[in-house]
Amino acid sequence: MFEVAAQWFTDDWAVNFSSPQKRLFWGHLFAAFFIAFIWLVWAKRQRTRSALKHIFSREAWASKSARADYLMFTINSIVMGAMPRLVGSSAVAYLLFETMHAVFDGRPLITLIPPWVVATLFTLVLFVVDDFARYAVHRLMHAVPVLWAFHKVHHSATSLNPVTVLRTHPVEGIIFSIRGALVQGACIGVFVFCFGDKVSLVMILGANAIKFGFNAIGSNLRHSHIAIGFWKPLEKVVMSPAQHQIHHSVDRAHYDKNFGVALSCWDLMFDSLVHSTANQSLKFGLRNNERNPHSLKQLYFRPFLEAGALLVKPITRLLKDTRSKPLPQALNKS
Amino acid sequence: MKCIPSLAAVALGSAIASAPALADDTYGPFPITEKSYSGDKTDSTAYTGQMARHVLHDSLKKLAGKGDGTNSEEIKAQMMAYYAGKDAGRAIIAPASKDGFPVVQTEVDQISKGKDLKGKTYKGVMTGWPGNMTGPEVIEFMIDKASKTKGGFDPLTGYNYPQLISKFAMGAVFYNQATDNYLDEKLRADNKPNNKPYKDGAYYTGKEHSWDEAFGYFGAPAHALSLDAGQTYGIAKQKSLADADYNKDGKVDLYREMTYAHAYYAADADKAGTDYLHTIMRAFIDGRQLIADANGAALSDAQRSKLVGYADVIKTNWEKVLAEAVFKYAGSVYKDLQKLQVIVESSGDAKKAFATYGKHWGELKGFAMALQAGPKNLGELSVKIDRLIGYGPVLLGGGQVVAVSSSGDYEIGGGQDMGNYMVHMIKLQKLLGDHYGLKARKNDATSEMEDLVKSLGDSLAAEND
Repeated sequence: MFEVAAQWFTDDWAVNFSSPQKRLFWGHLFAAFFIAFIWLVWAKRQRTRSALKHIFSREAWASKSARADYLMFTINSIVMGAMPRLVGSSAVAYLLFETMHAVFDGRPLITLIPPWVVATLFTLVLFVVDDFARYAVHRLMHAVPVLWAFHKVHHSATSLNPVTVLRTHPVEGIIFSIRGALVQGACIGVFVFCFGDKVSLVMILGANAIKFGFNAIGSNLRHSHIAIGFWKPLEKVVMSPAQHQIHHSVDRAHYDKNFGVALSCWDLMFDSLVHSTANQSLKFGLRNNERNPHSLKQLYFRPFLEAGALLVKPITRLLKDTRSKPLPQALNKS
Repeated sequence: MKCIPSLAAVALGSAIASAPALADDTYGPFPITEKSYSGDKTDSTAYTGQMARHVLHDSLKKLAGKGDGTNSEEIKAQMMAYYAGKDAGRAIIAPASKDGFPVVQTEVDQISKGKDLKGKTYKGVMTGWPGNMTGPEVIEFMIDKASKTKGGFDPLTGYNYPQLISKFAMGAVFYNQATDNYLDEKLRADNKPNNKPYKDGAYYTGKEHSWDEAFGYFGAPAHALSLDAGQTYGIAKQKSLADADYNKDGKVDLYREMTYAHAYYAADADKAGTDYLHTIMRAFIDGRQLIADANGAALSDAQRSKLVGYADVIKTNWEKVLAEAVFKYAGSVYKDLQKLQVIVESSGDAKKAFATYGKHWGELKGFAMALQAGPKNLGELSVKIDRLIGYGPVLLGGGQVVAVSSSGDYEIGGGQDMGNYMVHMIKLQKLLGDHYGLKARKNDATSEMEDLVKSLGDSLAAEND
């Protein structure tokens, strides 16, 4: 029993802080702290003590909302570890790889491009496609009521800290894993088909170099109360922490804005971009206050009830309509 | 439940393989334990008949490539002499002496007299070859066809007969005899018991000789445990006299010092990191020692059970060696098709590349049929292998051999194209890799993909946006 618990702790829980592939990697957290500190001291002219107090504010780290984040993160690391993988990137890659043989009647090998170019291209394409897929799925999670029932668990956070990134309903986690498998599988399948053994990922500490770079320059500040905005033209391409905080705002003007993760160009293209403002002050959470928004029971089970009701509603309406309609004459007579 | 013996065999195999290999860990000599023998022999080890069949097989393969389009009858008669004949005076065509690698024997009879391959060929129907033929019928059919080609290759069908004949015979004769007969039926208590001579007047017991014969068919030099995979492989290629010449007489004894057939392919796979050769060798030596230790008495149930355990190790690993070979040549065929596609698209001369493709396809098909000639009914796996490979290589314009007419002519048809056939090769590798848990995986057509999937990770993630 102790061994099982120890293994879970290292493989499923602590890995979030020890693996450079994860957003909460200790190195990325330290980088976020460092950036926040410098920003508060230099740009906001705060004293050291005041800056530290601001970064480690009780509201951000010890509120009811934050405690729910920590509990969900821990429970999810047990639940998600036990869940079956519905789609693996290997299966997707194989399917695409095989299909392309039939489409191209074989496999033309592109031999002129040097391996470092292929590796750079692959790393870049994987990052961009993955980021776009995140944008698209995120937008769907907001637009489709049944999906919103699950995604709003994340938005129910009334204070933000880096761990809020893992305040996710397990059903949403499954959707994310399918998205990840499709993106990775598709990129691998296409690139290996075209470039064979020249394909590799440019990595830093075992993680996608671009993703690592994005995380290292303070992605953890997205879920925080440190509202760092960028220069406007830059915010049209790269999502600033302050822009993502706008996405969590309860203000109606911010509703369904800034879906992007690393890149904000998707929001610009699809008309959902909002820029950050200097000294922005936001209230986080859901517009319609729900009862006990940080109770674990509500966070895990209410989405099922809401989604169930949304799915049943059209069926009951249909049955009601059928009953209220008069039967055709022929049937009435019989 | 069928997997339990296999798992046990693999586990025992790993334990055997990890045992330290001593320099004098050779297969033989073993003492005379047969009580009825009163002659002056001191070594009960004997597998000359099997080694004679190895040189018959090597010679037959060489002859299969000797046709020039005008000498059909002559070549066919020669090939049949090595396949079905038992006549005295047959020269060893291969392996023959070459500079720096002299061999002791020049005639088959110097190893063993009156031996043939046909009598020991698997008699079941070979579903992987058109015409509903038995094992011997397939080989004789191929011999006839080979004799009518130039150099053993038929450009109209893509068949390379030296490879087809050689690889199929390796399975239908050596693998089948060893695993379905000597390591199977002859291990029963009442079949060739250890307290009786193998035959009247023999200096070895029933079990001693049965075990020896299985070892002989594997094709390893007796001192293979003191060699690494590269050295054992190099002996078959006649590269190093020092590696082969264990008794230091300056020549290679084709009976005890040469690498043939399956041992060669086990060593080939092991160059990619597996340990099939030494695992199989260790099990053969330990099994033979167990029999010798019984000192001519009938084996007890416990002894026989242990012996069956060694046999399972040998059979499980041997089957994997064949599966690794099919896997490897499926990858070769895939690569050949890729090259052919480039040549065809640039309107280049595909003659040489097509011949290479035919050679690799012959090895692929031959090994697949060898695998199907083993002790187990492979069931659905066998059907899938046949469907993926088909009866012939896909030709440049599409289509492949789909049947043999009553007059023995090939019929070409089917809508199979090269792109689709490449997918078949990928599927075949995946099928075998998954079924057998292959580790050498030479010429893996999708290894880059697997490596990338592993490096990127594939886990459920709750990380939100």
